[in-house]
Amino acid sequence: MTTPAISIRDVTMDYPTPDGVNHVLDGVSYDVAEGHFVSIVGPSGVGKTTLLRLLTGLATPTGGEIQVRGQRLTSSPEGLAVVLQDYTRSLMPWLTVEKNIALPLRNAKLSRTATRERVEESLAEVGLTGTGRSYPWQLSGGMQQRVSIARAIAVRPSILVMDEPFASVDAQTRFDLEDLVLKVRDDFGITTLMVTHDIDEAVYLSDEIVVLYGKPAVVRDIVKIDIPFPRSQMTTRNDHRFADLRTHVYGMVRGLE
Amino acid sequence: MMRVWRWILAILIGAWLPIVFIAWWWNASAESTNPYFPPLSVIWEQFKVNWIFELVPVHVVPSIRNLLVGFLIAAVIAIPAGTLIGASRSGTRYVEPVVDFIRSIPPVALVPIFILLLGLDAQMRITSIAFSASFPILLATIEGVRSTNLVVLDTAKSFRLSRSAILWRVRLPGAMPTVFAGLQVGFQIAFVVTIASEVLGSGFGLGAFTLIATDSFLIVDAWTGVILLGILGYLLNLVFDLVERISLRWYYGQKKLS
Repeated sequence: MTTPAISIRDVTMDYPTPDGVNHVLDGVSYDVAEGHFVSIVGPSGVGKTTLLRLLTGLATPTGGEIQVRGQRLTSSPEGLAVVLQDYTRSLMPWLTVEKNIALPLRNAKLSRTATRERVEESLAEVGLTGTGRSYPWQLSGGMQQRVSIARAIAVRPSILVMDEPFASVDAQTRFDLEDLVLKVRDDFGITTLMVTHDIDEAVYLSDEIVVLYGKPAVVRDIVKIDIPFPRSQMTTRNDHRFADLRTHVYGMVRGLE
Repeated sequence: MMRVWRWILAILIGAWLPIVFIAWWWNASAESTNPYFPPLSVIWEQFKVNWIFELVPVHVVPSIRNLLVGFLIAAVIAIPAGTLIGASRSGTRYVEPVVDFIRSIPPVALVPIFILLLGLDAQMRITSIAFSASFPILLATIEGVRSTNLVVLDTAKSFRLSRSAILWRVRLPGAMPTVFAGLQVGFQIAFVVTIASEVLGSGFGLGAFTLIATDSFLIVDAWTGVILLGILGYLLNLVFDLVERISLRWYYGQKKLS
């Protein structure tokens, strides 16, 4: 068997609070296969974002461990890029779009022309050619989130982690961004992990959905989404299978099943 | 075209009070025989003789030079120091009480100490200016860097930026609006100390000029010095605002949209 892209092994997370210890995650285990699109869903406050912070190396689990390609995670790993919900804060407002995208490339030690080319390619990939000189705050919310995605793929990551990436944009933009993410995944073969509270979105995008439930949270179910790719907003969402799966996941998240 | 008119209108709205005041002063003082309050017309004639531009090289240039050099030294020291202190969790706790204490001493009161330590030359004046101006800049930088937004910090960490890149390319730029608030206060203090440092033991500079004129009963000259100080202070603030507007274009642009 091949090594999974990400291996979450019996991960436990406790936070000390003034009112005692807050147990957030209790023995969460899951393997993300190379190239898969996996969504993590669950009721709000269940610890989805905590798990995501652990996956990106921004926090360390109190128990268990997370491995990226067999390497135990101790800090933010190479080849992993992050897109956060709050694009207004995660994009640096004092940098232009192109400089925002170039910022994580500092580690890649590319030449100036190579950096510029990489920035242009990334902007083209997300359909924002020609906006490099603007400041992020001059763009619409959907465009800012596209910039975040461009910045993430500029480092040519093998793993993309997203935290509620489309939560702050309108419905139409959300559909466009969902399809953009699927295109990016296809173009670069990136293993993608997404935390979301939107079950339709999770079903539409994913190969597999991990349902977290309970306090402290455990993996309640792992749902394989056996709807063939390519998917489309027009047909996939009307598919019977889509309806069945979303009903099933919804029941899980709500604790109805 | 509309913009030009609006601009002119804005200037007129801002200028009406000074215009009324100057007109009132001009008329009320016209017949004055009080030696301490000479007619504004007399002051104005002397002003032209002194400051357009006869005495500018002797008295204005050294003051402005001391002010700018002192202020720049303060900024160049206080901003990096504040960045390092603000980024360190314990640094702030160790440094802040000391900084707060020294800052509480009126800057002008420190000038005699600097004279004792450094003598009466320009070096003493520049040191006094730099010292006094550095505290507000230091505190503002500490505060700005310390309150870096956590999302910004997480994002930078997830890019695996080095500690120094996070500090100088993410935390400090993000803190610049706060830093500028400190620079503004520091600049005003620098101006006050510039003049105060010239009052003692100097033959040059606007502070020295005004004091010597007063002591020598050259009341009209003293008035021209005071008026020039007001004008200079005003113009320097305008320049400062302009520099801030240009440096923080991203900040004001963003604020305008939200």
